[in-house]
Amino acid sequence: MTSTELDDGKQGQRVTSTVTTTEAVADGGRPRRTGGRDLGHLWDSWGMTACLAVLVAFAAATDPEFLQLANIQSVLTESAYLGIVAAAMTVAIVNGTFDLSVGGQLALVSVVSLMGYEAGGTGLAVAAALGCGLACGLVNGTLVTLLRVPPFVATLGMLFVFRGVAYILTEDSPAVLPYTEIDSGFAQLGSMRIAEVPLPFLLMVGFFAATYVFLRRTTAGRRVVAYGSSPEAARFSGVSATRVRFLVFGLLGLAVGIAVLTYITRIWTADGATQDGFELRVITAAVLGGASLQGGKGSLVGTFSAVLLVAVLNDLMVGQGVSAGVQQMVLGGVLILALGIDGVRTKYGHRFRAVLSRRREVAAPS
Amino acid sequence: MAADVVLGIDDLTVEFPGVKALDGVSFAVRPGEVHALVGENGAGKSTLLKVLGGVISATRGSVSLEGRPYRPSRPRDAQEAGIAVIYQEFTLFPDLTVAENVFTGREPHHRVTRALDYATMRAECRRIFGQLDVDIDPDARVGDLSISEQQLVEIAKALSVDGRVIIMDEPTAALASSEVARLLDVVRRLRAEGRSVIYVSHHLEEVFEVADRATVLRDGRFVATLDIAATTEDELVRRMVGRDVESVFHREDAERGAVVLQVQNLRAGRVLKDVTIDVRAGEVVGIGGVAGAGQIELTQAVFGALRVHAGSMTLDGRAFTPGSPADAIRAGVGFLHEDRKSAGNFPHLSVEHNLTMTVLDRVRGLGRLISTRRQREVWTTYRERMRIKASSHAQLISNLSGGNQQKVLLGRALAPGGHLLVLNEPTRGVDIGAKAEIHQLVNELTSQGVGVLMVSSDLPELLGMSDRIVVLSQGRVVGRLSGEDATEENVIACATTGRRIGVAA
Repeated sequence: MTSTELDDGKQGQRVTSTVTTTEAVADGGRPRRTGGRDLGHLWDSWGMTACLAVLVAFAAATDPEFLQLANIQSVLTESAYLGIVAAAMTVAIVNGTFDLSVGGQLALVSVVSLMGYEAGGTGLAVAAALGCGLACGLVNGTLVTLLRVPPFVATLGMLFVFRGVAYILTEDSPAVLPYTEIDSGFAQLGSMRIAEVPLPFLLMVGFFAATYVFLRRTTAGRRVVAYGSSPEAARFSGVSATRVRFLVFGLLGLAVGIAVLTYITRIWTADGATQDGFELRVITAAVLGGASLQGGKGSLVGTFSAVLLVAVLNDLMVGQGVSAGVQQMVLGGVLILALGIDGVRTKYGHRFRAVLSRRREVAAPS
Repeated sequence: MAADVVLGIDDLTVEFPGVKALDGVSFAVRPGEVHALVGENGAGKSTLLKVLGGVISATRGSVSLEGRPYRPSRPRDAQEAGIAVIYQEFTLFPDLTVAENVFTGREPHHRVTRALDYATMRAECRRIFGQLDVDIDPDARVGDLSISEQQLVEIAKALSVDGRVIIMDEPTAALASSEVARLLDVVRRLRAEGRSVIYVSHHLEEVFEVADRATVLRDGRFVATLDIAATTEDELVRRMVGRDVESVFHREDAERGAVVLQVQNLRAGRVLKDVTIDVRAGEVVGIGGVAGAGQIELTQAVFGALRVHAGSMTLDGRAFTPGSPADAIRAGVGFLHEDRKSAGNFPHLSVEHNLTMTVLDRVRGLGRLISTRRQREVWTTYRERMRIKASSHAQLISNLSGGNQQKVLLGRALAPGGHLLVLNEPTRGVDIGAKAEIHQLVNELTSQGVGVLMVSSDLPELLGMSDRIVVLSQGRVVGRLSGEDATEENVIACATTGRRIGVAA
């Protein structure tokens, strides 16, 4: 799903078949077609999903344990916290920005949420997670809009600040959910299943769906996309940069809050070092899914598939006893490969397609 | 025959997926001639330049340079072969000096120390600028130069590699009229040295002033190569559009109504000092002046995009103090930015989403979500009203021709339904057919009671389309011209010589 399909799935399909390149329709809307579908557009929309399908088929064929219910449930549960934040990060990237502080937020919100549980049970723990996440997002939003700190610098700085606060709060000992609380509502959040589907995964699907509706069908979401496509044009169309950026960073904070509900309720302990490097894995998922760091372009379907792809890949490697070091290298390799394919396509696609269409003409002269 | 040809283009074809951008184009450029390349937007001029510049490769056909086959696979090949392309978007580094820019990638080094040899670079720059008879300091920072000076730096860059064929893409698009004259002088000087210039322009006056021959392209095909001395502007236009166009500037009188916009002693931004102006319903008020005289600032202040320091405005008789473009849009001001590419289009969005951006609050339906149906209604209304040619509502705006993009943006400006329209350079970079259509639209709008404030650096357009012209100089009004006073000479005189017409001194 490229930005075009932030409109309508069906419309996107039509774009695929009628629109080609800038030059194509440049002569007064009378394109002279020589035939040929634009495979590039299809790849943008569904490439990552296709890769996921291939990988799942490969996993099912080579690893007999992969298709077992418990394994699938574990893969889906494991993806949730990353996926929820990656959805919000996709929105940020479409808006032309990103947030490097989500790892710090995740650590801090986890600690605060556990402290909330200790003080007031499940209700307070959930409220603390959502409230603290949102507050973190609003701090970022304030820095970026009111103080005009560039997002890269603001969120990089806040990464350290959030983690620092989490460290201070857990100076004596990490925050934990005691084993005696195994039957509490809070602990259930991470382990409950509805019709065998893990609740964390359902939360992730719900969050993706809500984000999708936000981008496609709300005026605020449309403004977020427009601003990412051209900040200047957005300004002259009456879009408020302040409002748009507050919305984006607030959404990211809220996403971290929800993600923590699916994370800390399974891990049960947190401190300042929790999930080191989380922000980069989140950005990796969004970029793998097709988001362009230049803004204006990103795909929630792609990000969703990329999150699952990474989870399946990790599961496969763990099953094969591949070391953590190699796992990291593979993730890096996949990212570079995916973007490399993209780069090659952009650079040589013209010539390649020119050759293809010439062949077709020779084969079937009109 | 071959001796008469410096650049031979033979059966050149470039295909993009689904379309032929160039289709079997053949023509020849002679040594020491200025060869104009004309055609509507989308005729294939840019594609041809990209092939010659080594940016893209041809699908079929060949190019020969001084009798030898010429097949550049990257821009550097073109440069080394002696073909210099000066694109509309400059390729200069704003933080480097003029001399450093001219020698980017081929800096001379001192023989012993191997340090950059600034002395040689400066001397060579001075020699080239001397040759062009212009005065630019080789040590100036390029970012501090005006657009026209930057363009001369690009030309100097081309000459420093001894470019034998110099290709200029819309070189006057961003220049004021005095700067155009200087550029044309430079072009003649290049020709006098025996170089060939391929000159791409929408402005036929320039073509007739400077070119020896002109090649016309239409829809990617070669139409004709004409001797400028033996043809007329009408003939050229007819070949470009493939049909006769009526007189391009034709302002129809509309009935004047009440004052829509009144601006009183406005001081805003850094340039605008003191401007008083009003716009009535049904009239077009044109703002003239040299580039940077405060025209753009005036329109931005009216649109709430520029801080107002002093003075007052009324809209429809009520006090009007827009704090942001959003305020101005709510109050019913439509605004067209002069830079379509970077401040008009949302390149990733469909034409429909581009158009409805100013009326999002109005296309909401159930649950305050955007209603696909209402959105489509707005699009359909304005597609018909603006006569936008798009293959569907979902087509990306960046895939339309410049003229159609402009019509989408006009629709966006009009959609809130106010009766003040602020137009900055409404037909910049738009082909002749679309230009006439946009002028016709302005006529229709004024006859419906819309008041238009228009800035245009295209003097014939300004004169032809405005009912009254207000000339600015250094942020102040220096001329109020209407009727018989509204002549090219008067506008230029007011703008450049300090003469005042219709204004108390």
